[in-house]
Order: sequence, then structure tokens, then C-alpha cells
Amino acid sequence: MATVGIESSAHTFGVGVVEDGRVLANVKSMYRISDRGLIPMKVADFHQKHAGAVIRRALKEAGVERVEAVGYTMGPGLGPCLRVGQLSAIVLSRITGAPLYPVNHAAAHVEITRHIYGLRDPLVLYVSGGNSQILGLEDKPQKHYHVYGETFDVGVGNMLDSFARAAKLKPAWGSSVARLAEGGRYIAMPYTVKGMDFTFTGLLTNAMKLLKSGEKRDVAFSLQETAFSMLCEATERALLLTGKREVIASGGVAQSRRLRDMLGVMAKSHGRKFYVAPDEFNSDNGAMIALVAEKMHTAVGMKPKIKGSDYGIKQRYRIEDFMIRWG
Amino acid sequence: MRKISEGAEAVIYAARMLGRNVIVKERVAKGYRIKELDEQLRRQRTKTEAKIQSTLYEKGVRVPGVILVGKYFVVMERVQGKTLNRMAGVGKAHDRRSMGMAMAEAGRVLGTIHRLGVSHGDFTTANIMQDRSGRLWVIDFGLAAFTNSEEEMALDVLLMKRSVDSGMYERFIKSYKLGFGGKASAVLGRLGEIEKRGRYQTRTLDSA
Repeated sequence: MATVGIESSAHTFGVGVVEDGRVLANVKSMYRISDRGLIPMKVADFHQKHAGAVIRRALKEAGVERVEAVGYTMGPGLGPCLRVGQLSAIVLSRITGAPLYPVNHAAAHVEITRHIYGLRDPLVLYVSGGNSQILGLEDKPQKHYHVYGETFDVGVGNMLDSFARAAKLKPAWGSSVARLAEGGRYIAMPYTVKGMDFTFTGLLTNAMKLLKSGEKRDVAFSLQETAFSMLCEATERALLLTGKREVIASGGVAQSRRLRDMLGVMAKSHGRKFYVAPDEFNSDNGAMIALVAEKMHTAVGMKPKIKGSDYGIKQRYRIEDFMIRWG
Repeated sequence: MRKISEGAEAVIYAARMLGRNVIVKERVAKGYRIKELDEQLRRQRTKTEAKIQSTLYEKGVRVPGVILVGKYFVVMERVQGKTLNRMAGVGKAHDRRSMGMAMAEAGRVLGTIHRLGVSHGDFTTANIMQDRSGRLWVIDFGLAAFTNSEEEMALDVLLMKRSVDSGMYERFIKSYKLGFGGKASAVLGRLGEIEKRGRYQTRTLDSA
């Protein structure tokens, strides 16, 4: 019996279908970012236009007859975008009579990686547009992802995006910065790590300034190397302090080959293993939401209460406020 | 020389030198970073750490005295004791009382360090050591900086706020103000602003 998950926290409207932990469908429609970035209302309009078709396609691909549960991204994300996913989920839940589950977006990225590799207690580097955090499961007061360290200002993804726009690169910012960086030479840049926390604005400001005088390629290279080294160092510190045995990276920026290489080298130097999910689960997707909704549905004591206020959206939903009630 | 611990950026060896117990803190190369960045970071942190620790030592702050500085290593006095994070979390009333006293002392020391124009950069209970006679030592200045920035100082306070419960934090902050003097209120104002940026609101650990 299948669970459907709807994701719409940013520019992707994604619908996934999962059955007993297997992904049967993972369909996405993506808003093309303009040079000015992402305007929430416009993206929400786009999502609204495509929601019905994406849901139908996912259900058809999965070939399921009955929907057992429906999940949607409650947050964190952009209000108008989240709203479209939430409303679509409510409608789908009413039509099918299946119970509805609100899911934390960040936890879903991490959980699908943990699920794919069957890991019990990994140390997590969660890197997306708006966020960058070092996470791990803690049992008290209830099982949840504790934040060991995180960015004090912007997420690494948004930082790279801002730079890419200033450097007039083509959309798909992160990967265009990586392409530009190839063969660059290193210029010293501000490197700010505070224990397991870090900040990116000083680095970004410096890189923007250098764009005017320096070689574009060298600036992109140095920016990327500095930012990823900071993330790696903070992760390494957390790894040794917590003593966890595995490291995973998840979220949009975990698609970066350079970041993966660095984390792999770091983990190996301490005899730990490094894992990362296939790209389709690190970019925003509905399958991860479906997977977590299925786990919530199966977990004891998680039968949803039918109360409208439980099914809202939370633009600033923190990962530590989302309980993990399964193994 | 005997390896006693391995942190994220350095390997620590215990040794005897000139009849004294010392540690050798060596910053090892990190294979994940490009060579230029790696060497620059290790060189600069080694230098800054030694310089800051010597300055604080001279001003009477209880930090391990620096004996020798190399390109990527520092030899310093060895403090025999336990870090506060190993003391924390033991539920007995007696432990809580001595932890409270230690936190008050830690607040005063951080206030003094800030007054002397230094930020620590990783001020958690893992970097405060209590020796056998109960005296506190601040260790690991690898991420420290000479600065008068209220933001940097507020981040030191924030790290401590997050690693202890609210009762302990109150004692810490009360003596921090005494140690720092007048400028403490500006730092605490800045701390409020950082917290309001919305990232830190639910991160205090009340059970740890």
C-alpha cells in the first residue's frame, strides 16, 4: 500500500510514491530561476499550474491502486510555495480518504539517505540553499536531529548563488561556479570557523570585491575551496567529538563532486565511512517526503489527529522540532 | 613522546622537557584541503595561538604557558586535569554545586579574556580544564583572535550558552559581566541580535 509525498518548499514541485520503503515514482517539475533569483509568488503560481499534472503522472508511474497515506512538506521553505503543496496534499487526502502527515524538509533529505544505506546513527552535513548544519540523532527528550553546528548567517547554497549572479553565470548556480572554478589558482580569502559553527558573509563580500579586480576563475576556485574546507573542518570536529562511525552529506549542495571528495578523504583519514544519496534525492523531491510520511504512518502512536491546525505550514520549521519515532 | 589525543586539527603528544611535563600540539596536514590553503591555515593558527596564549599568560590569565613555537607546532605546559564537559551531566547535587562554581569562574575568565581584546573562537566546556586543586584553565586557542569586535565576543558567549543549561548559564553570565566590566552590556546586546537572526532559538540544551 502506497504513500504519496508532496514537496514544494522552493523552486521544485515534486511528487513521490513509496511502498514499504521502496520508491515507485519520483516526479518533479522545476521553476526556471531568472537572473533575479526566486520570487516566491511567481514560483507558487507556477507550482499551482503544474500540481495536478505532476500528481497524476506520479500516481500513473507508480501504478498504485490505493493510497494509504499522504505526506507534505510543512517547512522550512517559502510560504507561498509551501502553501501550494500543503493544499494539494489536503485535497489528495480528502479524495482518497488517506491520513495526512506534515514532514520536515531537512529531516526528509537526511532520512532518505539514512534509509538507502541502512545507517543507524550517522553524523550529517546538511547543505542546501538556505541552510548548512551539522546534525546527529539524540534520544533526549525525544529522538530528534540535534544541531551540533551551523551557519551563523547564510546557507552555503545561497552564498554560491549570490556569487554566481554577481559573476553573471548561467542558472544552476552551484554547478556553474564549480565549472568556472576548474583550473583556477588559489587566492587567500576569509575563513571563519567557530568550533562547529561557521559564517559565510565575510567570505562572500571578499569574493564579490575580488571579482572586480581578479581573474574570475581564480575567485570562483578560491571561494569554493574555502567554503567547502570550512564545512569539512566543522564536520570533522563534530565527528571526533561525537565519536559517530559514519558521515553522510545531504541536501542540494551534496551534489557537488568536490565537496563529496573532500568529505570522503576526511572520513577515511579517521577510519570512518562516507555516504551520499543519488542526486535525485539530494535535489528537492517528493520521494523523501513520501518515505518519511510512510515511516510516520507505520510508527506506533503516530496516527494523525484530525485537527485542521495540525496541517499548517511553518516557514522556519527547525529540524530539532521534528520527532523521529522510528529506528 | 606519547600521543595522548587527536583533535580535528591537531595531534597532541605528552613529553618531558627541561624537567617539566609538556604537551606538543602539532597541526597535521589535512588531505581534504588544497595545499596552499592547508599550509596557510596551519601556519597562521599556530602563530596566533602561541602569541595569544603568551599574551594572556603574561597578563595573569590561567592558560598553559608557551615554551617553544615551530612552524606547525607549539610546545606548552601540560595541565593535568579534567575538562568541564566530562564533569557536566552527572546528576548528583554535589557535582552540580561544584559545576556551578566552575561556571561562575569560567564566566569571570572569559570576561577577562575579552577585556584584554581576545576572542577564544571555541569557548565550550570541552576547552575549560579543572586541575587537581580545583583551578580552572582555558585551553585550545587555535581559533582565537586579537579583536575588539562585539560580534566575535558575543559568539564566544553564545557557544557557552548552548552547551550548558539555563541555571548554569545564569551564573556564568553574572560573573562574565564582573570580569569584563562596562563593555559587557554591548556584547550581550549583540548576542541578543544574533539570536534574533532566527537561527538559534531552540538550541539550548537543557538536558545535557
